[in-house]
Amino acid sequence: MNKEEYLKKLSKQIKKMSVDEKRDLLLDYEEHFRIGMEKGRTEEEISKALGNPKNVAKQIKADYMVKKAEDKPSPTSIIEALTAVAGLGLFNIFIAVPSLLLAVVIISLVLAGSAVIVIGIFITLSPLLHVFLPNFVYLPVDKGVSTIIWVLFGIALTIAGTIFVLIMSYAANKLYQMVIKLLKSNIEDIKENTMVFK
Amino acid sequence: MNAQFKKGVLELCVLVLLDRKDCYGYEMVDEISKNISISEGTIYPLLRRLKKEDLVSSYLKESQDGPPRKYYRITELGKEKRKI
Repeated sequence: MNKEEYLKKLSKQIKKMSVDEKRDLLLDYEEHFRIGMEKGRTEEEISKALGNPKNVAKQIKADYMVKKAEDKPSPTSIIEALTAVAGLGLFNIFIAVPSLLLAVVIISLVLAGSAVIVIGIFITLSPLLHVFLPNFVYLPVDKGVSTIIWVLFGIALTIAGTIFVLIMSYAANKLYQMVIKLLKSNIEDIKENTMVFK
Repeated sequence: MNAQFKKGVLELCVLVLLDRKDCYGYEMVDEISKNISISEGTIYPLLRRLKKEDLVSSYLKESQDGPPRKYYRITELGKEKRKI
């Protein structure tokens, strides 16, 4: 593979990265070729020593995606980071799968907690809403529950839901940081696996 | 080779080299491959990561042989990390 082919293959593999990052990276490899040739190596020799552009790109992408997930936490960015690291081939699935499952559980609990808050607010306001929409808003007065108790029940639900969501958000945040740390250490492990002591 | 030992070796090599003097990427690969066989392409992703973590910085410097080269310099933070 000559220089042009190598750089072309590499740039194809990293096309998802930002224009600046991509240009910067390709410049690094171009410089590597230039200096190597000044030192009397052929383009083919240098390509071979650099290693398969696909593997080089995988490593770059994994680094890039993990950094992105760290800077801009979102479910999409974390999934992108997970797949990029998994693409390196040596990802520890016994840690990845449980942490993903835990993430799903936490997100579901946050959603459930949010629903409790909405219901709590609705019950708190139901005597008021009942005045305007008597046919749509139900008050359990006929079951012997006084309006005051009903409103207090609504307030309690709202508070309990809020505390629950806060705790879960905290847990989600901690889990997120854990996953990022895990991904980073995975990237380092893989890097070391690509080298051999002479 | 013990995995715990191997971990971070490449990173440490780079920091030690840069602590001695500023280098360009090719120079570091040359130095490191005297002792460890690495796939040369992996040095650049590593350098990018070290740069993002503020352990090294880079600048362009003219060379006698041709266009300017990208040199790397260790930061104070990098020096601290090297000692650990």
